[in-house]
Amino acid sequence: MIRSIAKVSALGLLAISILGAGGFNEQAEKDRKALIEYMQKKFSDPLKNRASQFPYSTDKELKENIKGGLKFEDFRLGSYAFNKSGKEQYDEIAEMPPYEDAVDEGEELYNKKFKNGKSFKECFPKPDIAGDYPMYDAKKGVVTLSSAINDCLKANGEKPWNMKKGKMAKLEAYFAYQSKEAGKKFNIKIDSKEAQEAYERGKKEYYSQRGYLKLSCASCHVQGAGKRVRAEYMSPLLGQVTHFPVYRLKWEDLGTLERRMVGCNKDQGENPHKANSKWMKELLYFMAYMSNGMPVDGPDIRK
Amino acid sequence: MKIVRDSIIAVSILTMGAFGQDANALMQEAAKLDVKKVCDVKSNGLEKVLEVAKKYNPVAVEFGVEFKRLGITNSVYIKGLEGAIKAKKPEVTLEYKSKGKKKSKTFKTDYATWRACHFAVRALQQKVEAQKTWRLAVPGDGFKY
Repeated sequence: MIRSIAKVSALGLLAISILGAGGFNEQAEKDRKALIEYMQKKFSDPLKNRASQFPYSTDKELKENIKGGLKFEDFRLGSYAFNKSGKEQYDEIAEMPPYEDAVDEGEELYNKKFKNGKSFKECFPKPDIAGDYPMYDAKKGVVTLSSAINDCLKANGEKPWNMKKGKMAKLEAYFAYQSKEAGKKFNIKIDSKEAQEAYERGKKEYYSQRGYLKLSCASCHVQGAGKRVRAEYMSPLLGQVTHFPVYRLKWEDLGTLERRMVGCNKDQGENPHKANSKWMKELLYFMAYMSNGMPVDGPDIRK
Repeated sequence: MKIVRDSIIAVSILTMGAFGQDANALMQEAAKLDVKKVCDVKSNGLEKVLEVAKKYNPVAVEFGVEFKRLGITNSVYIKGLEGAIKAKKPEVTLEYKSKGKKKSKTFKTDYATWRACHFAVRALQQKVEAQKTWRLAVPGDGFKY
């Protein structure tokens, strides 16, 4: 009797949690599907969509350099999904990837003992976790991979790292590499009302115009995806987080997603938000959710 | 001791609450301004225009929407201009940090004052505008294509 009551209660709780989880990410799922539909339609036939999507591109450019017929998973490559000449250059650099040493150094950092004899293994038993972050914690709010790494360091009496480069980027490169090797996909969860609210705040900030240039993130990476700013094509929001950390030719260095976001924020003409700020974490939470279902593809190379 | 501690906490909460209210009210106030008029240095004078910047820029900082151009935040413009206007200098040299290095740039004082005012007011106006416009850019919501 007691066993059956326990079984029924457990099943009930499971059903409630599944239904609840479904409910909390319902709007996010709608947003994600609408974004996929928009991007696939935009890049279905760039020349045909010229008037509505690529008004400033030349016919030659659209015919020769912008690839059409893109599907969901293609977007994990960022602008290289459609930029043919850029992809050729990317493939050449990728033959001898400049981030390989960083992955090895990241592995060393993962295994290295802290002063108290413990290591990152205690905080992250498996290293293939890049696609699980950011996640929502009831006490801490949104936790990004960078903030989780620093939380681990602090909990073990170590000094936190710079969240934009150096050791942080190297350890994240190792996590991303392990995740890619294990075939992991982005799996961001929204399983509470508070998490849903954090997602919504991140979304609002992504689509709000800011800075003296009055640009939103979406101006360049939703409506502007595939358009050119000087010689560079702007990457789509869909798949934007999948390949971090990246070795940028501009930086001549490996950097985290937070580093890139701070740069983007500056480009908009705004005093950038801190890498560890609530604003940044919630923005990344939204962005990462938009890439749910895509393979982890980092570390990678970008201009 | 406990009374002192509790008083400090109470005063802090009241001050924070009051500032929060003021910040929102100031943002709404800024949204109604004619930025060309209030930031016109010829008709208003440098001191008055700088006062507008000093009034609204802290609110932009509070809301995380302060403008920054070529490495210089609006707070740096305002700080530099306070001294230059007082000393009646025709040019102002702004010192700032970029990528950890100390740098400086020199501007005409009237031009920098106009910019500081314009940046402070527009940052808040844009924040208010964004409350109404952001959904228009979301696929599946207000963005039609």
